[in-house]
Amino acid sequence: MLNFLVRRLLAILPVLLAVSLLTFLIASLLPGDLAMVILGDQATPENVAALRHDMGLDQPLWWRYLSWLGHVLQGDLGRSFRTGQTVLQAVGERIPVSLELMLMAEFIGLLIGVPLAIACAARAGGAFDRFMTGSAFAMLSMPSFLMAILLIYLFAVELHWLPATGYVPFTEEPLANLRFFVLPALTLALAEWPGIMRVLRSDMIATLQEDYIALAKAKGLKPSRILFVHALKPSSLTLVTVTGINIGRLLGGTLIVESIFALPGIGRLLVGAIYTRDLVILQGVVLLVACGFVIVNVIVDMLYAVLDPRIRHGHA
Amino acid sequence: MTNIAAAARRHAPIFLVAAFALLPLATPVQAQKSGGSITVGQELDIPGFDPLKVGVYDTSTFTAAAAIFDTLTTLDDKGEAAPKLAVSWTHSDDYMTWTFKLREGVKFHDGTPFNAQAFKENFDRQKDPANKCRCAFYITNVKEVLAPDEYTVVYKLTDPSVNLPAVITIQSQNNAIHSPTAWKTKGDDYNRNPVGTGPYILKSWTAGDRMVLEKNPNYWDKGRPYLDRIILKPLPDAQSRFASLQSGEADIIWDDENDADNIMKAQKDPKLAVHTYKGSGAQVYAFNTKVAPFDDVRVRQALVMAIDRPKMSQAISNGLSRPASNPYGDGSWVKCKDDGALPYDVEKAKALLKDYGKPVEFKMLVTATPRGRMIGQVLQQFWKRVGADMEIEQVDQATIPSRAFTRQFQLTPWRIVDLADPDPQMYANFHTGSPLALAGFSNPELDRLLDHARVTADLGQRTEDYCAISRLINKEAIWFWTFQNTYYALSSTKLKGFPKIYNSVIDVSNTWLE
Repeated sequence: MLNFLVRRLLAILPVLLAVSLLTFLIASLLPGDLAMVILGDQATPENVAALRHDMGLDQPLWWRYLSWLGHVLQGDLGRSFRTGQTVLQAVGERIPVSLELMLMAEFIGLLIGVPLAIACAARAGGAFDRFMTGSAFAMLSMPSFLMAILLIYLFAVELHWLPATGYVPFTEEPLANLRFFVLPALTLALAEWPGIMRVLRSDMIATLQEDYIALAKAKGLKPSRILFVHALKPSSLTLVTVTGINIGRLLGGTLIVESIFALPGIGRLLVGAIYTRDLVILQGVVLLVACGFVIVNVIVDMLYAVLDPRIRHGHA
Repeated sequence: MTNIAAAARRHAPIFLVAAFALLPLATPVQAQKSGGSITVGQELDIPGFDPLKVGVYDTSTFTAAAAIFDTLTTLDDKGEAAPKLAVSWTHSDDYMTWTFKLREGVKFHDGTPFNAQAFKENFDRQKDPANKCRCAFYITNVKEVLAPDEYTVVYKLTDPSVNLPAVITIQSQNNAIHSPTAWKTKGDDYNRNPVGTGPYILKSWTAGDRMVLEKNPNYWDKGRPYLDRIILKPLPDAQSRFASLQSGEADIIWDDENDADNIMKAQKDPKLAVHTYKGSGAQVYAFNTKVAPFDDVRVRQALVMAIDRPKMSQAISNGLSRPASNPYGDGSWVKCKDDGALPYDVEKAKALLKDYGKPVEFKMLVTATPRGRMIGQVLQQFWKRVGADMEIEQVDQATIPSRAFTRQFQLTPWRIVDLADPDPQMYANFHTGSPLALAGFSNPELDRLLDHARVTADLGQRTEDYCAISRLINKEAIWFWTFQNTYYALSSTKLKGFPKIYNSVIDVSNTWLE
């Protein structure tokens, strides 16, 4: 197991390095010049040249990358030129919001997806199964911004059950906090459950063909017991991976959902940084998010290895 | 998302983004009620208040600044300068020196006394070249500010200004007066912990979420403000911002023509009020007359005559955009019987281009935003119809000023913002030798009129000058104007005392709830 862990960790180092390089390049290749953004209306060529020199923007790209990376490795991701906040401060303030949103969305997604998958697998090819598989497709093709507006219109404007926008920290008012998160989390979850359902459903159907299930049936075990006890766990392997990969997808979703519901999370921070050309924040946030994603994937690999011994011994 | 993008473009100020904090003198018509709290739905996250850090305030920042800070003067409901922290003012005969007498006994929220020294320190800090403040650009016309005694401030100008008290009502990075003690003791943290003399005190601020402002119990204007609390929330998405107003979570929201559907919905809703302010200025475009094909007046005139403004308004804002035929607009005191506007005339335009005889091909800069693209495409179609080929060149907002200053363009968008007086912008945009005279067009008569208008006190005379200027520019077609500036806010009908939206600033510091 330890051997496996070390191998895994060594393998992600080049990945993280590549991530940092890509992040830096993307930010550098964005149209617009940081010096011009900062100077705004005073952007005479002389001023721009002087500021570019001060900020080291006139250095070659590789040199700028290395110096940025040097700072990053020392834990200094830089400071926004607009707000004066450091990247770590800005991210620290907002990460709890995005984490809560993603966890809640994933939870709701599983809550909808898992029971449906089991129900579909139990009667594969039946009317309910066909209807749900079709619905899942329909849900997948619904863009989240449209879903968000529909939910807001229904629950906030028409029914007045839930707030349309806003946020309050969990530590201040737990109940109000949850109310604010219902609609945004639901918006993400509605795009999440079809994937969960389809993966688990097909794995369950495969598992139910196995010999030991036939044996269990022959022993006269209750169908419900066979489904939930004998078939669910071995079928959950792919689901664990999918859930891990979903974190990345969800992060993309937060960009839109946080803007629409005005939640002060990482997604909003990133969108704002793009519009205001706040490259320091942009680079820093993308790097941290990408690293987070890589690390989550490693954890998923570990879990996988724990769940299925064949993997850590290299037989799979 | 497109709304946010468009908004980001509009509020990255091109030139002199200006705001007016309007405190109308108490009107006995309605009984103001004290107490209660309101939520304002804004469009953007506020970056902060320290001019050295943020450089230029955007519209969301203005709303907060109008509550936290005071300015020397304010605009009354007629658009004229009225006292605020200054109680009276005088000027020299040549309008190069203005002297303001300050209100006595005013204190900043941190207890620091407000006086001439504090005001001068604010100004010097922005002007100091060592501070490299972007905000310095907007006070280049002020040579220095002097504080001869505790309650007197003297402005020494580089150019005459007949209307300075009205021009400095703008609730901007340059005119909001900060506590010197606060910025000295807080250093880097001052940006997000502003201290002014205004009617509201910053209580708390969660980045990206909400800013809570509480009533200043020691405000110098006794009996004001009325509301106990103002909550400012950034709601970047136009649809959900409007939904928040409908569901009662927000009491007033910022809006603009890009969101025409919701403005129209609000007009039909008995529970909502639509506040519209027709500002001065316009959305404008400058031809570079130094390069072909725009070195020929026939080409310029043809392109201007080919623009069908009502149709364009339909295309970009459902008809809400109001066509402009001069740079002043309905919100200005400059009213022209004849502004010399060129008529919409496709046949005449074709004939002019035929007369020119060479193919007309050129590039136009537009901002790389959905709205910028749409405007570019509409103009492209108009010009194609009369036989001119325009290629759209999309650039980042921030590169436009730089391209403009270095004259690396054939046709560029620009803006003339809502300002109490036309002089600062007209002089900068059209006088020979100004870095902002983008058209590169020099005309002695134009210069004479601009020089005369800025040192004349008589409004009738000035109006004549400015109308002559408009006729001259329209005839030469060195710039053209598409639409006037219209500013919107949507609110619940319970909110009262909301003033005019001078330059799109939603100033709620004097409102109350019924």
